[in-house]
Amino acid sequence: MGQSADPGMARETRLLHAFVDLADTLVDDYDIVDVLHQLVESCVDLFDATAAGLLLSDQRGGLELLASSSEQSRLLELFQLQADEGPCLDCFRTGEPVSAPDIGAESTRWPRFSAQAVDQGFLAVHAVPLRLRGQTIGALNLFATRLGPMHPQDLRVARALADTATIGILQERAIHRGEVLTEQLQAALNNRITIEQAKGVLAHAGDLDMSEAFQLLRQYGRANSTRLSEIAHRVVTGTLAPGVVINHSPVRAD
Amino acid sequence: MGEPLDAQAAVAALRRSLVAALGDGAGGADAVARVCQACVQALPVDGAAISVIDGAGNRELLHASDEIIRRVESVQFTLGEGPCVDTFRARRPVLVPDLAGATAWPVFAAEMAGQPIGAIFAFPIQHGAIGIGAMDLYRRAPGWLTDDELATALGIVDLAAMALLGTQVAGGQIDAWLAPLPRHRREVHQATGMLIAEFGIPAEQALARLRLYAFSTGTLIEDVAHALTQRRLHPAELDT
Repeated sequence: MGQSADPGMARETRLLHAFVDLADTLVDDYDIVDVLHQLVESCVDLFDATAAGLLLSDQRGGLELLASSSEQSRLLELFQLQADEGPCLDCFRTGEPVSAPDIGAESTRWPRFSAQAVDQGFLAVHAVPLRLRGQTIGALNLFATRLGPMHPQDLRVARALADTATIGILQERAIHRGEVLTEQLQAALNNRITIEQAKGVLAHAGDLDMSEAFQLLRQYGRANSTRLSEIAHRVVTGTLAPGVVINHSPVRAD
Repeated sequence: MGEPLDAQAAVAALRRSLVAALGDGAGGADAVARVCQACVQALPVDGAAISVIDGAGNRELLHASDEIIRRVESVQFTLGEGPCVDTFRARRPVLVPDLAGATAWPVFAAEMAGQPIGAIFAFPIQHGAIGIGAMDLYRRAPGWLTDDELATALGIVDLAAMALLGTQVAGGQIDAWLAPLPRHRREVHQATGMLIAEFGIPAEQALARLRLYAFSTGTLIEDVAHALTQRRLHPAELDT
């Protein structure tokens, strides 16, 4: 592997950071929504992807968007559309990665999805399963503005990140029990709602946009070693004043 | 995933039944009884109960389908321990497919010894940070639910949450209230938060106000939420 030291090293460092960041979210009392956000952010950073999202099974026959690299509403719609059709749904159903190196050529397979994706300037899309022991619980979705397949090495890294996140979701107690999966997934789905409600509180109280509000919640939770969803719950129920979170100056523990 | 059709049919039937019950002005008690009945009919469980719990932990049993689940509820809330107590506190389902093998609640287990209870499935009734209560199911034989049964149970819990939130809503609007929230719900949740910040009201009232405004202006709730989150509509406009 006679690679020139610089780009290879940079790549390796970024990769290492991605796994360390993900592992950091898995210590002690971690929050699934936080773990998944870390995962999508790492993916945008590591791969040639301009947007990343993560859908989880809602166990009612649907897929629900749990994390995304951007709050842009048309992009959110594109992720969520895949509960009905698209690479994430196919990936979730088969448990295998699904790749469309040219979205424009997929108008037969996914008519609505491909039209909307092309309309937003995306050229290629990839979906990687969140899978453990034969059970698929969701899919990681990567969009690129460059035609072509995902590099095999990137695909392996994406799968490793997805596997790490999956183990994170299931490891809190014995990972082989179906009821634990349900407890975890359902808690995460409800926490997602609470976090959105809390973002609304902070956004209005502090005149912030939604992604700023999310970052404040996350920073405050980390600085106080408290789960993101617990901070969100306190904000929504009024036991933590929005001003305290908004005016809190984050101490980055890097 | 199992076959979602059966689950969807069972949940759709309950939804129609709840619209009829709440639309008649019969009130929440009848609706809650129908929810419990639907559980026993559509799921391999022998009994179901629903309790509402307030922020201070005060609990009121709204319905119990038989004496065994009634006793499960009363023992747990007297002792302050058990799967149904935990499900509300932890805001997540607590699912016990084999109660005899569970070690988390020793006093509760001792009290329940001799009762014909193999499994307990406890689900929080909630909507984000809005904690409403718990739905508790038991069955005589131990064992886990199939994917399809689980989907049915979750669909029923969703309806129970909206029905209990909806009993505060004026009649004639219950059909729209019990309709599943639109797929792009994110902005509805965010708008709920904005109203909390504007008026200093609890989340359930903020959500009710949002829906009421949508009904009274003939607008879809997601459009109202979109206008709020895009700052094209100020929350103060929703003052009542």
